[in-house]
Amino acid sequence: MGLELAPYTYSVEKGKIREFSAAIGDPNPIYYDEEAARKEGYEGIPIPLTYLQVIDLWGGYSFEQKCQMLNLNPVKILHGEQGYQFLKTIYAGDKLTVSGKVADVKVKQGSSGGMNLVTLEFEYRNQFNELVARSRNVTIERH
Amino acid sequence: MWKYYEDLNVGDHFPKISKDPISRVQLVKYAGASGDFNPLHTVEEVGEKAGTGIIAHGMLVMGMAAQGVTSWIPRKYVNSLQIRFRKMTFPGERIHVTGKVLEKKENNQIVSEVVAMNDEGEVKVSGTFEAILPSKIVQ
Repeated sequence: MGLELAPYTYSVEKGKIREFSAAIGDPNPIYYDEEAARKEGYEGIPIPLTYLQVIDLWGGYSFEQKCQMLNLNPVKILHGEQGYQFLKTIYAGDKLTVSGKVADVKVKQGSSGGMNLVTLEFEYRNQFNELVARSRNVTIERH
Repeated sequence: MWKYYEDLNVGDHFPKISKDPISRVQLVKYAGASGDFNPLHTVEEVGEKAGTGIIAHGMLVMGMAAQGVTSWIPRKYVNSLQIRFRKMTFPGERIHVTGKVLEKKENNQIVSEVVAMNDEGEVKVSGTFEAILPSKIVQ
């Protein structure tokens, strides 16, 4: 607990926003077409609400690295909770620097046996060093 | 789409969006797009070893919930989304996303529920989102 993860920096790319939205099957034109986005009052192509996962996994630690770092058994883990808070709209072209930490570790007894609950918190700053988003996730590791 | 604070009331339901069934190809696409290469989502043998078979990425289902949210409220007004993953989702399942307004706060903020479920109504993810909407009332 309290372990800080080494920060990482990654750019938001419009091609990746398109690929991500297409994988989900979200047809919202603001994610595909800059002109459509501007018409709706955006300064560029905004990121979808769950896009920061791309920044974390492509820019930060891979699934295997995360398991290793947190000493988690990859076949025993489940994603329990995920939260995003946005302070400012993030656009294609922004460069985000992410700092994260282990905020909480709990051991719990559930109906199907014991489990560890690991909570990670991240802060995202843009190229102007403005805090633009926060995220929080809980990983469940079954014993 | 709702663009003004006054147009929403507590208890209002947002229109349901229904997705196509999740395919194996979609899981491969989502793995590449997101960077989540946990083999449980794409490799048959790993799914079998885990005792579940291949399961969909929880974040894909959350992404579908987010699609619902930003089909109801403009993306730029949404300032938080938090969910809990309730049940595993399997290829072949079809996700439906519903939502309703839970609370109207000061400063034009609304708090709403969002739920993603399958055809049988089994809840896969559920949670809340917040948005600050412009007011029609000129201050």
